[in-house]
Amino acid sequence: MSEQAATIASSMPAWAFLVPLAAGALAFFGRWLGARLTQFLAVAAPLGVTLLGLEMARRVVDGAVLTGWGNELRVDGLSVLLVLAIGIVGTLTALYSLRYVKQPGLPTRVGAAAAQRLPTFYGLFLWFIATMVWGCVTNNIVMLYVAVEATTLTSGLLVAFHWDKRGLEAGYKYLMLLTIGITFALFGCVLVYAAAAATNRLTGGQALLISEVRGVAHLIPPATALIAVAFLVVGFGTKAGIAPFHPWLPDAHAEAPTPISVLLSGVMIKMAVYALARTVSIFYPRWPTLAVFVVALGVFTMVLGIVMALAQDDLKRLLAYSSVSQIGYVVAGIGVGTYLGCYGGLFHLLNHALIKALLFMCVGALIYATGTRRISELAGMRDRMPITSACFVIGALAIAGLPPFNGFLSKLTVYLALAKAGMWWALAIAIAAGFLTMVVLLRAARTVFWGHAPATAAAAREVPATMWGPMVALAVACVVLGVFPRLTFPLLDRAANVLATLGR
Amino acid sequence: MSTAGLNGELIQTLSMVVVITSVVAVEVRRLRFAAMAYSAQALLIVGLVASFAAVNPSLYWWAAVALITKAVLTPWFLFRFIGHGEDREIKPLIGFGPSVVVAALLMTGFYRFTHGHVALFAPTTLAQGGVFRTNLAVTSTVFALGLYCVLTRRDATKTVIGLCLLENGVHLSLVSLAPELPETTLFGVATEVVVTVFLLLYVIAGVRKEFGTTDTFALRELQR
Repeated sequence: MSEQAATIASSMPAWAFLVPLAAGALAFFGRWLGARLTQFLAVAAPLGVTLLGLEMARRVVDGAVLTGWGNELRVDGLSVLLVLAIGIVGTLTALYSLRYVKQPGLPTRVGAAAAQRLPTFYGLFLWFIATMVWGCVTNNIVMLYVAVEATTLTSGLLVAFHWDKRGLEAGYKYLMLLTIGITFALFGCVLVYAAAAATNRLTGGQALLISEVRGVAHLIPPATALIAVAFLVVGFGTKAGIAPFHPWLPDAHAEAPTPISVLLSGVMIKMAVYALARTVSIFYPRWPTLAVFVVALGVFTMVLGIVMALAQDDLKRLLAYSSVSQIGYVVAGIGVGTYLGCYGGLFHLLNHALIKALLFMCVGALIYATGTRRISELAGMRDRMPITSACFVIGALAIAGLPPFNGFLSKLTVYLALAKAGMWWALAIAIAAGFLTMVVLLRAARTVFWGHAPATAAAAREVPATMWGPMVALAVACVVLGVFPRLTFPLLDRAANVLATLGR
Repeated sequence: MSTAGLNGELIQTLSMVVVITSVVAVEVRRLRFAAMAYSAQALLIVGLVASFAAVNPSLYWWAAVALITKAVLTPWFLFRFIGHGEDREIKPLIGFGPSVVVAALLMTGFYRFTHGHVALFAPTTLAQGGVFRTNLAVTSTVFALGLYCVLTRRDATKTVIGLCLLENGVHLSLVSLAPELPETTLFGVATEVVVTVFLLLYVIAGVRKEFGTTDTFALRELQR
């Protein structure tokens, strides 16, 4: 276990979400700022989040916990891991979007010119990033709900951005289902706050702080704790895409413009898993049997997601269902509650953020070059788009959990944690789901990139450097983290120690 | 905070009327009347919160925020969206007669259950007694009716009203469970709802234009 952390007051947790918030507010005035400055803001703000995240990570690894605004904001190993993931994926996505948003179709809409739409796109994009970061640095349990719901509100119009029938249907379902789900989380959060305040060990203000509630969770009546956990699982679980609360996910991730799909699948659902882990883990030490329930939920999610992915012809829907499945691994790992399980779950959370961002970008590149995302309409793209092909194959191998890529080690860690906890049934199902993942992704890669290209794809060629650059960076990261996993060890160690409550 | 100083009779009466407005908002088929029932409920909630504020003055702030967000802005958005034309709700999954029976069962069932087992939801002794007990029973009833509305109504506008009821249920529970919630937190919670309603209605307006209806059963493009 790590040594006791020292609490240090810092303004960095606040700046981490205020920077993209302010940049987003400016981006809405893009008609006056001009397209170049708007897009500069879109890249610079998440880059700022990344740099702040790196500096916060350095301090956290040195043994500090950063607090801001009293104790309202709090950054420990777990928070900073998510902030870094959001910053890195956000920066690369913003870079990728520079050319992607100029493809025919995206910026146009009946009654609105491109000049009007791009500022809205980037304003919401940056606010989406800001709200995700805010959720990861807040220590206030009710504000955590507010931040998670705010991510829905900032991304709702982005999901429906195409404003055609499919986009509107996905946008409506996304906003409606997630708001219903998250209302359950609000009740769960309020119940935890009320129960913590009722222990008379904390003042009203302290009972809102997650870090303080952890210390009195054992005094909360079991029935109240059970109801709170149920509401939190339904609420944050819906947002995380955990089965059976996942039906919104494939629609939203598939219909959103690709840069938004990258953020939704790459980091947003992870931020919801963070909210779930942060709140439910409070109750783990007193009720360790919760672990079985959470692992079962994770295993069910990984199987259902990948089985649904098997039948998809739409590449984005396939990846979306695969995200459901991979979130199952994260939940199962963290759900075990041991250090090894939490380490594996969080390592997979980080790896999946990189891999899924990469895969969605590859599909976006195919859409950009060919205008289609249907597997049955694509073939032989290897010769026409060699960089995209190589990146997609690396992503597919990584998500399938094959060495020497990053997904191999994180899945292996989750498997070991399940075995060490004696959950052999979960281990067997997880390995089977891993095999299915390999089949689904490699089959899609073979169909799309090998064979003879159809006439419709004859004119297709590799995407511009601002699009393949972020893809290559992510692909390299997948290999580097697979070969040198110790690079992320110091941070993941800190993060795993925050959640690990049931031993090693 | 204690129950001394509270007008119990007034609170009981307002609470009962809140439940009735929920049933009306769910069951009435004219969207304009449903929005009126919701607006009436919002005003009643403001009155209820203000009544509780007699023993906890910080709740006056909550009442003021609820007045602006729930009783002014949300109804304004709803009435603007419904407009002056045809406002008959698309036929729901359950007919009027059976639906009223289900709503009545939900109403009595949830009210009695929560009132009888209030300790499950209320960890404090204060919240388990007197008007606070009633408040929590009403909370769960409004929440259940909102959920029922969202799950069984086909009209997207009606599902938004159902969502508002769902939120009202949870927000009303704050009076008993979290009376000392800081103003900034309350403001965040209240603002979120009104923005949600605005965005949902904005998207539904797009749906109405593209699909020619607000029937959620017509949203089948993504199954193709």
